[in-house]
Amino acid sequence: MGTASGYDPTAGKVIIDEHIGHPGIKATTLGYGEINDEMLAMLDKPHPSYYLLLLGFIMALGLGALSFAIQVDVGIGYSGISHPIAWGFYITNFVFWIGIGHAGTLISAVFYLTRAPWRTAIYRSAEAMTVFAVFTAGLFPLIHIGRPWLAFWLIPYPNERMLWVNFKSPLLWDVFAVTTYMSVSIMFFLLGLIPDIAILRDEAIRKGKKLKALVYAPLALAWRGTNHQWVHYMRGYLIFAAFATPLVFSVHSIVSWDFAMSSVPGWHTTIFAPYFVAGAIFSGLAMVLTVLIPIRAVFGLQDYITNHVIQSVSRVIIFTSIIVGYAYATEFFIGYYSGSPYERAIFYYRPFGEMQSWTLLGDNQLNFPQIAFWLMVFCNVIAPIPLWRWKVRNNPLAVWIIAALINVGMWFERFNIIGSSLQHEYDPASWGEYWPTIVETGVTIGSFGFFFTLFTIFVKSLPPMAIMELKEGTKPPMKNNVKKDGDG
Amino acid sequence: MVMGNFTGVWGIFEYMDETTETIEQIREKGVQPTVITPCPRHEIDHALGNPTTVLPWIALFFGALGCFVGYSLPAWTASDWVLPVSGKPILAIPPYTIIGFELTVLFTTIFTLISIALLGIIDSFRFPIPKAAKKYRRFQRDRFGVVVRCDAANLEQFETIMKSNGAEEVHVEK
Repeated sequence: MGTASGYDPTAGKVIIDEHIGHPGIKATTLGYGEINDEMLAMLDKPHPSYYLLLLGFIMALGLGALSFAIQVDVGIGYSGISHPIAWGFYITNFVFWIGIGHAGTLISAVFYLTRAPWRTAIYRSAEAMTVFAVFTAGLFPLIHIGRPWLAFWLIPYPNERMLWVNFKSPLLWDVFAVTTYMSVSIMFFLLGLIPDIAILRDEAIRKGKKLKALVYAPLALAWRGTNHQWVHYMRGYLIFAAFATPLVFSVHSIVSWDFAMSSVPGWHTTIFAPYFVAGAIFSGLAMVLTVLIPIRAVFGLQDYITNHVIQSVSRVIIFTSIIVGYAYATEFFIGYYSGSPYERAIFYYRPFGEMQSWTLLGDNQLNFPQIAFWLMVFCNVIAPIPLWRWKVRNNPLAVWIIAALINVGMWFERFNIIGSSLQHEYDPASWGEYWPTIVETGVTIGSFGFFFTLFTIFVKSLPPMAIMELKEGTKPPMKNNVKKDGDG
Repeated sequence: MVMGNFTGVWGIFEYMDETTETIEQIREKGVQPTVITPCPRHEIDHALGNPTTVLPWIALFFGALGCFVGYSLPAWTASDWVLPVSGKPILAIPPYTIIGFELTVLFTTIFTLISIALLGIIDSFRFPIPKAAKKYRRFQRDRFGVVVRCDAANLEQFETIMKSNGAEEVHVEK
């Protein structure tokens, strides 16, 4: 570990000047070589508990794969999806995981453009989370359609059926939105990795690790760090950030239109796009904290992922929590104000269940949407309130508990939207009830296994922090500490 | 120029201010050096005269192409197989805007990434680096490199500039 002269771990004030450095981040007081050493030490042989953790995630993934195999063998009827509830756990998971992905792009693109210095320590991990979350989300439409081997029908290509896909359908917009988002996220992630992989290549050669060097060399794409490469790279990174920024807001808007473009009560509202985008950022940032706070403790990264970083993310969580809470209230108000009996009925049904009784706790039988609704309100609106206090934000354990609750709440929010509206559409004769079957539960657990398996492998095979950006944020080595006119 | 025939001088620097000073003095002689750094620095860019790239124009072109494809593909498929739904227009521009937007972003980013790689390859031929400099493994770590391609007659003056500015090592390639 390198020296940290001038480093003040208690400092929380941000100074946006790369020459002065950030007093709350230790990396800004280290030399370039020391940053390399500290980051590469994270990729050393892991503790046996790492393999145990990985095994747990792989087992969860295995459970999901087994459940999916059973569903493929028996048929989609083995899931709880049936008339009138055509969308159940699978689409809930799809929307949930797409939302989780949003934080990575927000941190890597939007906060890059707004020059938020605290993003440096967490953006690589958040970006990796985006890629893995979108991978996970992308599986669900395939699982949901029942015959995933025919998924290529969604792609517009000349075919002997003489048919084209329907570009006016929100479901096809989703195909384009999600595949674009996945492609851009992967490319953005790989682009950020190129200089760091070149570092891994050169350090492996320097230390005589030939096998590692052999693996990293082709991945580094002949990166040398010349000024010609940097000028293309930095401008390209800016273009990526500029184009990924509207993508953050568009993807979940388009996902929301899967619902809002229909005429189903509770779905057909104009508020859905901003409501979904805020929810996605809210849940994504909560997942970032849920994952990074334990990593910070395990790897001893308190000097990089400082309390200031956690506080900054928490502030954005507070902001999006307010938007989400406001959206919940607006939905109810518009349900009442619209005058539509169907809208009013669905917004009574969500919190209170069937209209059998005039009392809130009468003889109503509690069902899944009601459980989902109250969990959603508690976890997304009430649980984040303590984050308003500095003391809570400054306590990583408290923040982690709140972030974990938000993850739970946001999953149930998606289920509440999907499940309740489909159970109670217009005609009471076609009302129904949805409970997931064991395969849906297994696939859902498997999706968490898939995500965390990929992430666990990532943290030990690639630098979880952007070494190049940490160097960029630190003081460069200067013999004479006098700045010339025009420098910087 | 074939990379094996590199003639010039390259030096290794520990400090950035010495590197920028060297770059400026080399540029005063009418030669544009190639600089190798562990991370991008504005100071180096300023010393090099703020070099630019054609990348934004490439991105603009392919973004426009993506936008065109995004609108024209749905329009063409709708015309190829006419499917009237609820009296809605066959060619509906608002929903095609979503496809147009997505393909604008997709085309821009894919071709930006390809262009970064291709421009890097082209520049490696335009501004070659000696093999010995490529094999020096601390440029990605904590050292700055300055490479000057020049005639044999000018080797000495650039070697002198680098040494006088505190280069750790100076290598002359004949």
